[in-house]
Amino acid sequence: MENKNKDGQVIVVTSGKGGVGKTTTVANVASALAKMGHRVVVIDLDIGLKKLDLILGLENRVIYDIIQVIEGECTLKQALVKDKRFPELYMLPAAQTRNKEDITPEQVVALCAQLRPDFDYIFIDCPAGIEQGFRNAIAAADQALVVTNPEVSAVRDADRIIGMLESAAFTDIKLVVNRLRNEMVRQGDMLSVDDLLEHLCIDLVGIVPEDKGILVSTNKGEPVVLNERSQAAIAFNNIARRLSGEDIEFLSFDDESFWRRLTRGLFSSR
Amino acid sequence: MLDLIKRIFSGESSSPRDQANSRLRLVLTHDRLGSSAQLMETLKEEILEVIARHVDIEGNPEVRLITEGKHAALDINIPIKGR
Repeated sequence: MENKNKDGQVIVVTSGKGGVGKTTTVANVASALAKMGHRVVVIDLDIGLKKLDLILGLENRVIYDIIQVIEGECTLKQALVKDKRFPELYMLPAAQTRNKEDITPEQVVALCAQLRPDFDYIFIDCPAGIEQGFRNAIAAADQALVVTNPEVSAVRDADRIIGMLESAAFTDIKLVVNRLRNEMVRQGDMLSVDDLLEHLCIDLVGIVPEDKGILVSTNKGEPVVLNERSQAAIAFNNIARRLSGEDIEFLSFDDESFWRRLTRGLFSSR
Repeated sequence: MLDLIKRIFSGESSSPRDQANSRLRLVLTHDRLGSSAQLMETLKEEILEVIARHVDIEGNPEVRLITEGKHAALDINIPIKGR
């Protein structure tokens, strides 16, 4: 990898509103980058409400957590959980029985400084909300991914978060549109990606279609990017490639073209 | 699909998507300005005060915010007494 010798970049994944797919985005984009051979670490900063360990299927491997690292009960290296599938992927778990106030932005900055030399990408899974947890999550970040759904309340929260990121002098803020349903957009029942871009005025880095495969993967505790048939997997892989500097066209995920692609795939594999 | 047909035949022009867009336009403008209702009232009062010092105002003066994407503008419409 071309950036093996330079310090890793810290990317915060945030949204304001809960339940739009932050953790799913972190787990899948990080897995996709690790699959590409990058060294990746994901930090769960949703202290008190951790989810990332479950989504990645690593809940049984967690021994220490981020608070124990900060309070000196263990070393950073001891707390890092190695992923089951990708040798280049690690996770720093959140503490479940503590609060967001038990950690400061300065401590997050210090932690990321320790991780930067050893990783290409450091992802921070930001908690919902705009309070202390959000301030902790953005403190060390070089860039931000804002995840939203094509839905008015999610867009409103995304706009608020973008405003706060801009006030915090972020210049690299990119949008991930999650759970898009093309057929509803076509019927005039759902906001389109263009509508969202017009409201939020930031660059787009990914369009993830609504996909039942996400729930299936979550139930199994494995990232959806492992499922090559999934539309969401294609979308997350594309986000990873764009983040690593590739110029990838945005797919429309139009039903017809997807079916055509799928049937072509089926027949060519025979 | 049925909804779409219903919408066409009922002559309802605004789809849920259109409604979402216009509601968002309004709400985001207000959010970006902070406590916008109070601010607009204060702005209106103070602007009118300055204008009234020099000319006679009549009718219903308006001060409102219009937005397009990231850009916002104050639309001030103050009818002034003619001869």
